[in-house]
Amino acid sequence: MAPIELLIELTLMPLIAFIVGMMMVLMMRRIAAKIQRRIGPPFFQPLYDIVKLHGKRTQVSHGLIHDIGIVMAMGGYIAAETLLPVPGMDGIAEKGGLITLLYLMMIPSLGLALGVGQCANPNGSIGIARALTAMLAYDIPLVIVIFGVAYAAGTTNLVEIIATQQAGGFATWGVIEMPLLAIAGLIAMHASLGKQPFEIYIAPAEIATGPMVEMSGKYLGGLFVMQCFQLYTTSVLYVSLFLGGGTTWFDFLIKSFLVLAIPVSIAYLFPRYRTEDLLRLMWKWPVMLGLIGLAFVM
Amino acid sequence: MVMSRIQKIPVVEEKKGNPLARVFDDLVRFCRSRSLFILHYCTGCGAIELPPAMTSRFDMERLGIQPMVSPRQADILLITGYVSIKTLKRVILTYEQMGSPKYVVGICSCTVNGGMYWQSYATAKKLDEYMPVDLYIAGCMPRPEAVISGLQKLMDRIKSGEADSWQDYYQNYDYYLGNQQKLFGEDWQTPTDIITEAKHYELMGEGTLGEHTRLLEQHQNPLEALEMRLGHNIKEPIE
Repeated sequence: MAPIELLIELTLMPLIAFIVGMMMVLMMRRIAAKIQRRIGPPFFQPLYDIVKLHGKRTQVSHGLIHDIGIVMAMGGYIAAETLLPVPGMDGIAEKGGLITLLYLMMIPSLGLALGVGQCANPNGSIGIARALTAMLAYDIPLVIVIFGVAYAAGTTNLVEIIATQQAGGFATWGVIEMPLLAIAGLIAMHASLGKQPFEIYIAPAEIATGPMVEMSGKYLGGLFVMQCFQLYTTSVLYVSLFLGGGTTWFDFLIKSFLVLAIPVSIAYLFPRYRTEDLLRLMWKWPVMLGLIGLAFVM
Repeated sequence: MVMSRIQKIPVVEEKKGNPLARVFDDLVRFCRSRSLFILHYCTGCGAIELPPAMTSRFDMERLGIQPMVSPRQADILLITGYVSIKTLKRVILTYEQMGSPKYVVGICSCTVNGGMYWQSYATAKKLDEYMPVDLYIAGCMPRPEAVISGLQKLMDRIKSGEADSWQDYYQNYDYYLGNQQKLFGEDWQTPTDIITEAKHYELMGEGTLGEHTRLLEQHQNPLEALEMRLGHNIKEPIE
């Protein structure tokens, strides 16, 4: 591939991810509104929020590490987008592979931990401690699921995994061939989004949004952008592993929005688990399902 | 009254004939008006009118207004009800920590003139003596429709650029600090250094410095980072 073509792809992929991610945030808020019998925000609301936060006159920084932490939180996901194949664009997915992607998806939490650490706010510290605990909880089933899929496909190359599923048609999709892994993956994905039953580290009523408590202006705006990327990355990864990726943009977007709609619709019906309950639940059910699924694959 | 004191910062019109010259400023102003995060400091009975305004009956979110939990994230400080002198200290600390542009909305008659607490010795009567207030929604208590229509007026003012009373706090800090010192005593000091902030963001006005800020500087402790140490507050066990 010509370097200029690659460069265009590497620029376009995060941009598209951002725009699709904003629409996912909108969908999330609209679903929440419909469940609560409200009308919900207007179409451009996520954009208004981000532009407004970056346009604040006073920006309170708590130091250099605070700035770098936010950049890491966004940058980890922006790097992850270039490893996620979308219809027509592969980026550097063939060279990167699933393991690099898994590493890159952990960087945002670590970046947040750095940034929040310098804010010296007790709510933020509790929040980030819970966020890292939650990461420990959902990463084990997630890793089992991803390695199960990679073992079944015989490769960690996401492009090949998608190509095999697309060549064999609907019957070779991961969700048909490995249903147990798909269910475990859905639960792990729900926890990694940090939505309601697993929302231990945001918890507005308890620890005042945890990691975001000292963020103002463009720092909070950066976290809003990060949320767009987070929703996109998680749902597209799931679509690539289990739903055969996308042949065209149309079915790709429909699949990723539908996949995201499942955890989001569940989320707004439930209150929140405690931290130890989350650990117990994540290490019991998804891990058990994942291990049984792994045994079937082997 | 408050608005007339704000000195308009002269804007240099660089490209006069070009209609696109200020398009970015207009976009930011528009987004500001359509995305308002409220921090509701529920001091009094008016707080009971906010849940119906937010939830399914009246749904503020369709206007882009949603509640936030910490002052750093918020744009609007909603004061809903009477402000006692002890509460006012917290309100001022909260207000100073919010990022500008910030707007204060006083709900209920108590914030306008003390309302039914006019004769109370422990209540701050007029909120705009201590911080610039953008909008009052009078009533005892105003219904959710009134709250939403008031917030829509605020949105219009933000869109047209009129709602800039947050600059007044920087430009006339001496006036507000004087009123605060009258209530809280001469050794009143907040953790936020407004004068340095005003210098940094070039918002100094004629009223920023004065006799009250001189009084503040006499006893002002320089702000230092908190000491991070485990067991800081652990005392001897009680027998």
